[in-house]
Amino acid sequence: MNPAKFFQRLLQLAPVLLGVSFIAFMMLAMTPGDPVALIIGEHAATPEQIETLRRDLGLNQPLLQRFASFLADAVTGNFGTSFYHRRPVAEVIGERLPATIELSLVALIVALVTSIPLGVLAAIRKNTIFDRIATLFSLVGVSMPGFWLGILLIMIFAVNLQLFPVAGRIGFSHEVDPITGFMLIDTLLHRNFAAFGETLRYIALPAVTLGLPMAAILMRVTRTSMLEVLQQDYVTFANAKGLKPRRIFFRHALKNALIPTVSVAAIETGSLLGGNMIVETIFGWPGLGRLVVESIFVRNYPLVQAAVLLYAVTYVLLNFIADILYTLLNPRVKL
Amino acid sequence: MGTFKHLMLASMIALGSAISPTFAQDLIIGFSKEGETLDPANHRNRETETLLRNVYEGLLTRDASMKLVPEIAESYEQVSPTIYDFRIRKGIRFHDGSDLTAEDVRFTFERILKEGAMGDGQTSPRQGLLGPVTGVELVDANTVRFNLSEPWPILPAMLPNQQIVSKAFVEKNGTAGMATQAMGSGPFSLGEWRRGEALILNRFDDYFGGSPEVPPVGRACVDRAIFRTIPETASRVAALLSGDVHIINELPNSSIRQIQASGVADVVEVNGTRSFFLAMNMQGEIFDDIRVRQAAAHAVNKDLLIDKILGGSAARIEGILSPDAFGASELPQVGYDVEKARALLAEAGYPDGIDITLDAEGAYRDMAEAIASMLTRAGFRTSVAISETTMLTQKWRTAGGPKSGDMWLSSWGNGSLDPFDIFAPTHATNDRGNSAGYSNPELDKLLAAAAIEMDAGKRAEMYHRAEMTIVADQPYVYLWVPRDIYGVSKRVEGFHPSADSRILLHDVCLK
Repeated sequence: MNPAKFFQRLLQLAPVLLGVSFIAFMMLAMTPGDPVALIIGEHAATPEQIETLRRDLGLNQPLLQRFASFLADAVTGNFGTSFYHRRPVAEVIGERLPATIELSLVALIVALVTSIPLGVLAAIRKNTIFDRIATLFSLVGVSMPGFWLGILLIMIFAVNLQLFPVAGRIGFSHEVDPITGFMLIDTLLHRNFAAFGETLRYIALPAVTLGLPMAAILMRVTRTSMLEVLQQDYVTFANAKGLKPRRIFFRHALKNALIPTVSVAAIETGSLLGGNMIVETIFGWPGLGRLVVESIFVRNYPLVQAAVLLYAVTYVLLNFIADILYTLLNPRVKL
Repeated sequence: MGTFKHLMLASMIALGSAISPTFAQDLIIGFSKEGETLDPANHRNRETETLLRNVYEGLLTRDASMKLVPEIAESYEQVSPTIYDFRIRKGIRFHDGSDLTAEDVRFTFERILKEGAMGDGQTSPRQGLLGPVTGVELVDANTVRFNLSEPWPILPAMLPNQQIVSKAFVEKNGTAGMATQAMGSGPFSLGEWRRGEALILNRFDDYFGGSPEVPPVGRACVDRAIFRTIPETASRVAALLSGDVHIINELPNSSIRQIQASGVADVVEVNGTRSFFLAMNMQGEIFDDIRVRQAAAHAVNKDLLIDKILGGSAARIEGILSPDAFGASELPQVGYDVEKARALLAEAGYPDGIDITLDAEGAYRDMAEAIASMLTRAGFRTSVAISETTMLTQKWRTAGGPKSGDMWLSSWGNGSLDPFDIFAPTHATNDRGNSAGYSNPELDKLLAAAAIEMDAGKRAEMYHRAEMTIVADQPYVYLWVPRDIYGVSKRVEGFHPSADSRILLHDVCLK
């Protein structure tokens, strides 16, 4: 890969992020609802007290000036103070981000581990009963709303079978000092295997709920692209050469068939990070998605603003990573 | 396939062995919201207050019947209409073992009252909750004096909501530190705050026992009290049924039967403090006619709605006040009478009925649709418009500014159970919660006088007259005060929820 091209692509990200920040800022500012009125609620407050609160939250300045100071602060890593938590936004988001990333990654693993083998097998055994069942699975997975699947899993596995807990990240009999913030890694670093097992138990249902719809999509993509690749001349040639089918499928076909899967997986991972608010709410998962949605409802501008920026960075970076993976998987594609 | 089965079995066993028993004495509450901060002076949020009141305590508190009783104060007296003295109880300790003194009390209130006292030029968002209190000073080593700029009879009623902090602790940690650390004098001390997930509290063994007027007095029963954040209602119910948690708040009416039939948990209710009503836009052409407003009031069958939609868990109201509020009195009932409603509407010039829109927020969609169908039957062809709370508030609570809209299914909270912070806000001319746009100068005068009347008997009588006035003018269709509903495991003993949404855990035990 050409390093100059790499940095050029990286630099192109800057205007995208600036644009996203500006649009998000303006949309928040234009949404009806005054944060100050919301904080005061139904209680009495004199006009002076209201003005004091407005000043304390930094809302007494003109809009563009507020945006300018947001940008100036943001480049130094200061995203302001959360209106409700009364702590730096970076701190509040930082506390929640690892839980969201951990859940997303485990969900991604769930999705990849189920979808790729299923997709490949469905393609190889096209039009068999296995293919039909796999296709049915993918159809159900894509159409099932996350909140319904989540509640269903809770009713079966938590309430009836009592195998898994309903909500949270770990039980209260364990104390795990955070090192990385990722509970599965931290428990292993502490060599606390009981806590590791418990963490797995807590993450299982939310990860499956989040991962299954993605698995369904990835399975379909893998199946279709595998089918396409299997029609290619080089596969026919490999067959004619007398290579073993296993070698053809896994060594020659799969690598090319995975290109669309990788690209869809990267985009889907972006939406996992931003779109898992429902799953986080159902399973009481202390992640960022829930925090952001709650913050939108109460017009917690600084937190929403920072989170939107974070989502944009993640999304843009994941797309970038997908592009790089393309070039690695298929040298004919250049950045 | 055999290998797969073995693998499955092995992982099941591994997971099973990871299930470690919860502490026998862990009381776990499935709570709908997370606390915003641990600093009792730096928020305006009821749920945050609910959590913090197990760690911190106030000068006064309330017993289960909502009567005000001393807590950190031993006694109090009103020296003059604008001066109150509180004697601080001796022998109360903070969680670090230090004594709670009158100076800590003075410091607590100064931190809330004084401009910029929170540090960094910031003022406590709770300043407004102390109304006309101008300052707090020490009279002697054990007595704290509140000075007011004008008479304010509800000062005692507002004090359970302000928690006493340790001056030394605040000075050591600063306001930034107070957001994530807590050290009060309550029955539980802070164990660990897992942000977004749980607040773990440990029993405080040197607890002074709590208000002698709220028995049992003594240290807490359980070793730990844990608030697990579960925002989704269905998951909270599931967690109670699966035994993951022992108490849940905000149990929906639709789950009452499921809980009762489960055999593992019961339903516990307590009168709430939030009055629901239909605001009718009196600035608009339709509802400026009293006959139209009366027609709407006769069109709504409150008893049926309470029975069928609220599962019977609400107290019907005819005026704005909850039956438990100070000054609440027997009022004439506006009966359900469709014919009368139609006749009144015809008399007002709408013999063929009229089209109106009922605004409501998403959480009350079912209720709004039921009300709309009742109104429609009486001649108000009602369509329901669902919108976000914030937007509806901005549209309707215009404090005298122009407003659009016909009718709004709304509510107003009254945590103090004193008419002061519900009656005037919703009914005084141009006041902040007067969503009907109602104006009656006579009533304004009466409410202003009642707010500072020091004779309780006279004051109650004034509020009765005020209630009779609004029943006659009918700016709102007064509906009900819903009960707060909790799901409680059968293993729990001694849980008595309070109408001001305090979840006091110090006398709750687990079987």
